[in-house]
Amino acid sequence: MDTIDRKILDMIQTGFPITPRPYADIGAEMGITEAEALARVRALKQGKIIRRLGGNFQSKKLGWRSTLCAAKVPEDRIDDFVAEVNRHPGVTHNYLRANEFNIWFTFIGPSWDEVCATLQGITEKTGIEILNLPAEKLFKIKVNFQMENGE
Amino acid sequence: MREFTPAEKEILKRVQGSLPDSPTPYADIAEQVTQLGHAVTEEDVLTLLNGLKDEGVIRRFGATLKHQKAGYGANVMVAWKGASEDEIMRVGPILAESSAVSHCYYRKEAPGWPYHIYSMVHGSTKEQCLETVRELAEKTGLSEYATLFSIKELKKTSMTYF
Repeated sequence: MDTIDRKILDMIQTGFPITPRPYADIGAEMGITEAEALARVRALKQGKIIRRLGGNFQSKKLGWRSTLCAAKVPEDRIDDFVAEVNRHPGVTHNYLRANEFNIWFTFIGPSWDEVCATLQGITEKTGIEILNLPAEKLFKIKVNFQMENGE
Repeated sequence: MREFTPAEKEILKRVQGSLPDSPTPYADIAEQVTQLGHAVTEEDVLTLLNGLKDEGVIRRFGATLKHQKAGYGANVMVAWKGASEDEIMRVGPILAESSAVSHCYYRKEAPGWPYHIYSMVHGSTKEQCLETVRELAEKTGLSEYATLFSIKELKKTSMTYF
């Protein structure tokens, strides 16, 4: 990654152009050609620095509801519990964490009732209680990481 | 609530993952959706996406990075215990203003889990994360907290809404 790559990442994390020729616009901003801008973004994707390039929706504005969940899962039950949790498409992130509450996942569902019903279903199937921790208030969500003059 | 036409849903299906890898991704989307029987132009795609971005339905449009690969080596989720709703509202913005904190939420406590404020703290190393956590504890006056380092990523995907 060189300086131009870092500048491109800073630009396109929040402002990938929604225009007919987005790479021409990125190129114009960086002082490079459209072809080079496209080649650089492709290389960043292939190098797995860019995981995904697209839209991030605000689930609430689509009428969906999200929550953070935690469970205390005995070591020998982790694989089964995680398999049951992860098969739900609304589970977008799931981590094993260093705590007594060792499994932490996020869940998004089309309504609050469906979120609660799904979690209840997982508990009934696995016998493991799940803490349902919806956000009461958002203080911050920052999703772009400054690449140039690294923070 | 925003309702979408079948044609709009087909467009949005194509931006909730990764855009077509092409110099003209929006024209490509229009062509794909048109082939399904919805007459859609590139202009329609651009108008829809720009509109949703302005409305905040699309919170962010662009690249999602793999943090480790991007040089952000470590992070920790910290759950802080607030003494009262007043304290939670006072310290939330203090945590949020730190550039090392990417996400910060207030969530109610639950049985066996007495914490209220959740912040994702990033740093180049685990030690640097912990140093930042200590600074934040001092700054906010919050003395009870749990540092929840991840041991393993079990799932990470983007949501399929459409």
